[in-house]
Amino acid sequence: MIDFLIGLFLATLIVALFTSRLYRLILWYSMNSLILGLLALFMGTALDDRAMLITGIATILIKAIGIPYLLKNLGAKFHFVRQIQPEIKVQYAIILIPAILVFTFYLAEPITHMIHGNANYIAISISSLFLSLLLMMEHRNVAPKIIGFLSMENALFLLGITATDGMPMLVELGIFFDLLMAIVVINLLFHNEEANL
Amino acid sequence: MMLTLLVLPALIMFFVSFSQHPKAKFLLPVSSFAILLPIIELFVLPKPYAIAGSYLVADKLDTYILLVSSLVGIGVTLALLTLDKHVRVTAKAYRRFYRFFAIFWVGLTVSILANHMGIYWIGLELATLSTVYMIKTNHTRAAHKEAWNYMIVGAIAISLVLFGIILMYASAKPILGEDAMRFDLLLSHAKEIPSPFLFEMGFAIATVGMFVKMGFFPMNLWLANIERASFYPVAALFSGILESAVIIGFFRFSEIAKEVNYAHLFGFVFVYTLLTIFIVSFLIFRAKDFMRLFSLSGIEHMALIALFWVSGGTFAALLHFGAHAFLKPALFLSTGVLESKGKYRIAGALRGYHGKKGTLFWFLVSLFLLAIISLPPSPMFFSELYGFGAMIETAKHSDHMLAMIAAILLLLILLSVIFYRFVAIYQSMKYEGKEEEKKVYTSELFALVIFALCLVALLLPASLDYLRSIA
Repeated sequence: MIDFLIGLFLATLIVALFTSRLYRLILWYSMNSLILGLLALFMGTALDDRAMLITGIATILIKAIGIPYLLKNLGAKFHFVRQIQPEIKVQYAIILIPAILVFTFYLAEPITHMIHGNANYIAISISSLFLSLLLMMEHRNVAPKIIGFLSMENALFLLGITATDGMPMLVELGIFFDLLMAIVVINLLFHNEEANL
Repeated sequence: MMLTLLVLPALIMFFVSFSQHPKAKFLLPVSSFAILLPIIELFVLPKPYAIAGSYLVADKLDTYILLVSSLVGIGVTLALLTLDKHVRVTAKAYRRFYRFFAIFWVGLTVSILANHMGIYWIGLELATLSTVYMIKTNHTRAAHKEAWNYMIVGAIAISLVLFGIILMYASAKPILGEDAMRFDLLLSHAKEIPSPFLFEMGFAIATVGMFVKMGFFPMNLWLANIERASFYPVAALFSGILESAVIIGFFRFSEIAKEVNYAHLFGFVFVYTLLTIFIVSFLIFRAKDFMRLFSLSGIEHMALIALFWVSGGTFAALLHFGAHAFLKPALFLSTGVLESKGKYRIAGALRGYHGKKGTLFWFLVSLFLLAIISLPPSPMFFSELYGFGAMIETAKHSDHMLAMIAAILLLLILLSVIFYRFVAIYQSMKYEGKEEEKKVYTSELFALVIFALCLVALLLPASLDYLRSIA
């Protein structure tokens, strides 16, 4: 089940890279976060780790429901451009994305021997990080760049739960707090910026 | 109790920022001085002193860095009093600036005192995010663009730091469990880390994140453009406080990496900083305004500090760090006056000052400008002497002695390029251009006097002994 969810996590991110509509991109981010939350819940149950279960629930509530809802509201309030054509053409992206995946598996190869269990997940976390960076780079508009930044946080979270069997609870909560602070700052930045969107 | 006292000035600033009373801002410099009381107490208390369990611990290194950054904070609150005299800023934006400055200060205090990699990251991220709005206080198109730029690149940099932290944590978790996040335990068990490659990989990624945040290669112009677009106190906060928190992270991580594999650490940092200084020296040579000039010079000095630190010149690195943390904010804050007749008017910028305040201003700015290029008796002169001494000592024990000596010579040539450019700029400021009258305000002059006194205090035997005791 965990393998299936990790695959879905990567798949949602790849689909997001080809999306040319903003609300659809937000939906894929929400799906990505939902799968991450479910992954934390499954792993938390398997490891009997209560902190990871709480983190999983918080991920679903904040990242899969709260932030997408807020972003959609911000989009309506500040009239974001909804047609977001990626700068990298589809035919090039089709070549680039598998190349990133192969490269990251090669890059993570020495590390995977040192981690007990879930070894390939580290490679997937690193590739998710690169794909999120690609998402930020391939769009000119600010809104998809924010989704790229949020996806990057998801990739880091995935690395945290797979490489270390969960980070300390205090750190997880701190990261959530910072994420909320980021949303506040993003909201403030959008004020008086409608013309630039 | 100690933590409450340390964050009290920032909390007062946060709450006062909601007040619409025009005189409310005058309370802030007074309240910011209050931070010195708990810091003085920290100096007296036996080290390491637990401020909040094992999460926040004051040792000799972070007490020193906290003192330096707090003094910069005091100077900036003083200079902020006259911000509206030099730039156009609305009352609402002014209040918001203070609000985010307060959050920034809390974040960095937590970050500096952190004995826990996770807490360190949380504090740094909080400070990064609060800076975004401070950049945007300047209502220009360039500032809006740079605020987004900072948000995105800053987020990437800070994410790399977290990525590295997770890998370092994963490498030590088998022996330390959840305590693998603690700097002190990681340091004492560094040699027992079961997967040193994983640790080194994490260290390298976190270091690249921290170096990007300080404007190192390949992001050399990123920080300079942001500082150019924002109001000058933001640049002072960046160079005096934010970079202090970033560099203490580098100090902590590299102390552990030194135990894991010193040769790898040294090689990586040496090549990276040399490359950075190589590019920055030419960018400084072409700089046409004060903000970019000082910003690029800041990158050069942070690279030197990192280099001295990994070369074993701990004393030199800390002395250089202290001197830079006082000199650079002083120069950034004086930019408000220097650029009062135009952004790109370097010629004649040190002319047109009258009266006691004006004379003292140009005298202090001249001293700061000459001190930043390490003219004696600047603390930077001594720190560079000790720093290069440490580098040569390391080269002598290296397997690649000739290559390292050649690299050190190249570094000295690059520093001469920077020296030449600064001297040329100083001469242009003092002896060329039209003489136009410029106004200096008491509060900003007071801030410069504080920085000058701090620089003198840094050279006192007691201060030098303290720095040696950290080493």
